[in-house]
Amino acid sequence: MSPGADATSTSSTSIPAASEAAAPPVEDLFALGRRAAAARDAALGRRGTFARSRRLLGSGAWRGPRDASVSYVEAGDLPALGGWAAAHAAGATVVVGADVATLREIAGDGARLVLRAAFRGGESEDARSGRLRALAACDVPLWGVIPTPEGEPYGLDTVRFTALCRLALPVGCHVLADVERLGPRLAQMCLGFGADELLAPIVGERALRLGDNANNPALTRKEAVTLIRGAGLVPAERLLNDALEEVT
Amino acid sequence: MGSTNVTPRIRDKVRDGEPLSLEDGIALFEHRNLLELGLLANEVRERLHGERTYFNRNLHINATNVCEASCRFCSFARLEEGKPGAYTMSHAEAWGKLQARLDARDPITEIHIVNGLHPGLPFEYYTELLAGLKRLQPSIHLKAFTAVEIFYFHKKYDLPIAEVITRLRAAGLDSIPGGGAEIFAARVRKKICDDKCTGDEWLEVHRTAHRLGLRSNCTMLYGTIETVEERVDHMLRLRALQAETGGFQTFIPLAFHPDNNALMKLPGPTGVEDLRTYAVARLVLDNIPHLKAYWIMLGVKTAQSALWFGADDLDGTVQEEKIYHMAGAETPQAMSPNEIVRIIRNAGRAPVERDTLYNVLAEGEALASDKPFRRDVRRHALEVVP
Repeated sequence: MSPGADATSTSSTSIPAASEAAAPPVEDLFALGRRAAAARDAALGRRGTFARSRRLLGSGAWRGPRDASVSYVEAGDLPALGGWAAAHAAGATVVVGADVATLREIAGDGARLVLRAAFRGGESEDARSGRLRALAACDVPLWGVIPTPEGEPYGLDTVRFTALCRLALPVGCHVLADVERLGPRLAQMCLGFGADELLAPIVGERALRLGDNANNPALTRKEAVTLIRGAGLVPAERLLNDALEEVT
Repeated sequence: MGSTNVTPRIRDKVRDGEPLSLEDGIALFEHRNLLELGLLANEVRERLHGERTYFNRNLHINATNVCEASCRFCSFARLEEGKPGAYTMSHAEAWGKLQARLDARDPITEIHIVNGLHPGLPFEYYTELLAGLKRLQPSIHLKAFTAVEIFYFHKKYDLPIAEVITRLRAAGLDSIPGGGAEIFAARVRKKICDDKCTGDEWLEVHRTAHRLGLRSNCTMLYGTIETVEERVDHMLRLRALQAETGGFQTFIPLAFHPDNNALMKLPGPTGVEDLRTYAVARLVLDNIPHLKAYWIMLGVKTAQSALWFGADDLDGTVQEEKIYHMAGAETPQAMSPNEIVRIIRNAGRAPVERDTLYNVLAEGEALASDKPFRRDVRRHALEVVP
């Protein structure tokens, strides 16, 4: 899947106030990371996945390769497309949304649901855990969550929130590290803190990062595999019908 | 102290304060579990510095990018004056950078000066550059000219290394930055930077500076074509010189940036590789007190994370960094002290404003107020070796 900028609930606040930033973490970073990684390994195996995806735009056009294994639509584009039924008829199988209420309306209608779980700098870890527990207890069957920072993320905040997602959400719920939002370095680190899938456009060949392409977040298949393997996981590509193929 | 699964032998050596060997360093680089490695590195970091995390207020001046060397990893240098993108600042331009900070009442304690190896400038260009900055702000600390530049001055102006340093010091030089070390292994230098000083020559410049009473930093460029064995060998050579002189303050691992240079086909290091390199450095370089996560190059997010993987310093406010930005760094070119303090506090660490020599200027409440700098911790001076 490739993330869509319009679905992230980013704000202009880049850095929280000093008093907020001072909120101390409540569990040792390494203990938290190890618990989350162990939970991931127990639920999904010591595997890191990626998928070639395409996105159905609000205009009705597709962006991404024709042979993508995952076809998704951002919830914000559904009204323009005429609703989920129309998007599904066009080929979309996954909906990415920023709030549970929107996803609840679609649930049970052939859609795989992925939620952008927002967090912001300065929140207490208790508040985050409480929110995630509530999410885990809700009636929406989430396939996965994407930890999504509001504003410019702190590195440690992001890996900690990723670990909390893994620990709070149901066994089998995927935690995706968003390369476009976090950058490849931080997204890879999240794989060490319980994330199990890299979320990035996967392209056949790397174009030089020059001009308008300078900030292109797309990864080649080889780059995705390198990031996953470098994080100590076994890389696997998610194919059609959710089959996983390990990359050797 | 948490438990780790890093081999008990290495873990015990670290906890007993016993120096690690080449084989130990390689084993750490190859250790699969980053969190376990980080946990051990963090033990050492907290044993040395507790929660303290240092930063300073500084300004970078890259007075010229005209450079005789043609290092394949470099995006900054232009080989000749007049080539597109080539520049050489006049003294007035360089001094104007500091004057602008003074006019804005934006105090700094350090200027970091690194340049290309310009074939056409007289030695007096550099001495007058320093002297003019000191005239503007006598208290400013001038950390200037890498060992590569000093070795170039030694050859070009036919002066002994000690004489070059002595003359620069008379003009205002206070310490030497750590750049230009790259990787000491001859195999790597031959392929990526074969027309500048060797690893031994780099070390000799720092040895000489330390004997003259100057402190310096040291670096390692990682992520090009080097092996992990060559990385550990580099660290061990630095550790050996530190055991001899005690003059290094900080080790700064520098991640290779692959854009706009001759090595742009290489992928560059990943985030996990960055953290792994920091953690191994903290464990191998047991006699170098500080480990700096240079946020300009690592990115703010990775640099902040490195504060739990051995690093205890974020560098400074910087401003106008050119070398890494011409190589594709996407970080801002400056951060305010408040931003740095927030990043450190968000990491659960205690920010400490320092000067270049790690004298404490402000910490705790003083960082959140308008209180003047405190100067309550003084490092002892390096002994001058005749």
